[in-house]
Amino acid sequence: MARKVAVVAAGHSKFGKRYDATMRELCAEAYKPIYDAGVTQDKIDATVLSYAASQFTGQGAGSALMADYLGLQNIPHLRVESACTTGTASLRAAWGMVAAGLYDVMLVLGVEQMNRVSSAVATEYMSQAGDMRWEYPYGISFPAFYALMASRYMYEYDMPHEVLSRISVKSHHYGAQNPKAHLPREVTLEEANNAVPICRPLNLYDCSLITDGAAGVVIAAEDRVKEFTDQPMWITGIGAGASAMMIQDRESLTSIPGAKRAAKAAYDMAGVGPKDLDMVQVHDCFSIAELIAYEDLGLAEPGKGRELIENKEVYHDSRIPVNCDGGLKSKGHPLGATGLSMTYEILKQMRGEAENQSRQIDDVKIGLAHNVGQSGQFVNVFIFERGW
Amino acid sequence: MMSEKKELYLGYSSDKAVTPFFQEFLEALDQEKLMKSVCTECGTEFLPPRQHCQKCISLCELKEFTETEAKLRSYVVVDFAPESLTSKAPYVVAIGEFPSGLRLTAHITNLMSVPEVGMALKLAFEHIDDKKLTYKFLV
Repeated sequence: MARKVAVVAAGHSKFGKRYDATMRELCAEAYKPIYDAGVTQDKIDATVLSYAASQFTGQGAGSALMADYLGLQNIPHLRVESACTTGTASLRAAWGMVAAGLYDVMLVLGVEQMNRVSSAVATEYMSQAGDMRWEYPYGISFPAFYALMASRYMYEYDMPHEVLSRISVKSHHYGAQNPKAHLPREVTLEEANNAVPICRPLNLYDCSLITDGAAGVVIAAEDRVKEFTDQPMWITGIGAGASAMMIQDRESLTSIPGAKRAAKAAYDMAGVGPKDLDMVQVHDCFSIAELIAYEDLGLAEPGKGRELIENKEVYHDSRIPVNCDGGLKSKGHPLGATGLSMTYEILKQMRGEAENQSRQIDDVKIGLAHNVGQSGQFVNVFIFERGW
Repeated sequence: MMSEKKELYLGYSSDKAVTPFFQEFLEALDQEKLMKSVCTECGTEFLPPRQHCQKCISLCELKEFTETEAKLRSYVVVDFAPESLTSKAPYVVAIGEFPSGLRLTAHITNLMSVPEVGMALKLAFEHIDDKKLTYKFLV
């Protein structure tokens, strides 16, 4: 019988173009609030310290560097990698070790430093997560994969691009209220809809940011939780999914099949459904990804996701708040940190501690994090429940 | 036999490890033949080809793919390209679906406007500067 596991502390660096820091300093920035909350090095049994792509920094064996810099050099550590789901994959791995009884208290920290190379080079590195023989030679960049989904979605549901721009407007509305965000400024619908093209039909404001940053959480077994907090956030549902490597082989381009499977597994494990959720963090690496996530998570029927954004049902004071921290679009997307940034945000919202109370969601009891890697080859869905 | 080693595709080598199986594919492509693979055990077909069957992990053999007419399943116009293809942008990547249901990802190279999902595509071949080969779609 697996032990219950809770998130007991979390930390988050400022996201952005962090030319003032390297991955080690970003890790320290994310760990410091955790340390200050009482989770000092001597209380940690083991760590998962991860980043998605070593090409960005050239650093090999990075978890050793991260552990050493944080004063955790004598504590077992490992790195987990699964593209943009690296953060939640690390949390999933750590959860398994704590639930099984191998360790009681673990630090899970994800980081990415992406701005030491140009945007074109960063785009090159990320495109290498496509099939190197059959996709990469055709210059299918990360946004291009999602543009292939967007073209098909817009065709099948006869949807104008403006719907996607409404999602970008929401993301920036909340990013502007988040002091941790990479690009904290509002954009108008007109600006978002008429921005320069990146991978048509997607434009600049449909695309998440190339961001430096780190985020981390501490998890503890049930009988150790009270040593750290009286406001634990239980991990009650974990679902993981996968999808075909080549995007041409997907039966649908208007859904991510692995995300649907991950969501079902997480809902089943937690014994809840989409109607029980008080807030959701989705992997909006592109605006179309957020729209598809509404449907894959069961928040809307296929083809009806647009109604959620058009009716503003996904705003912080509405029916089902989604990404009220700015999401990957405005808060930023440092690959290895993103899933843990989602977890951090849900904990803060649950505790009523949203950074800038103007975006505080009322009375969060259950939250969901949806983290997608590459174009759906990896998916993790977590359900968290308030423990007080 | 090809007189000299050629690469599949545009501005950057796609796969440094050219296996005998892939070399056979490239040699056929040099003759403007696109090869699919067929599982020697269960008969499942793959395009682009793979040496091992995804279903039963048996070996596949290459056979000529003879369909030439496809429909555009989806597309992207890449304006901001990865560094290695910056000089080629903008370019159009298409997923074409053939009547058999097999699909292929390739560029459309003769468009004069943004493509439309569902439009007819024709499979074609190109020898680029005598050292690179590609298959592509034309409208």
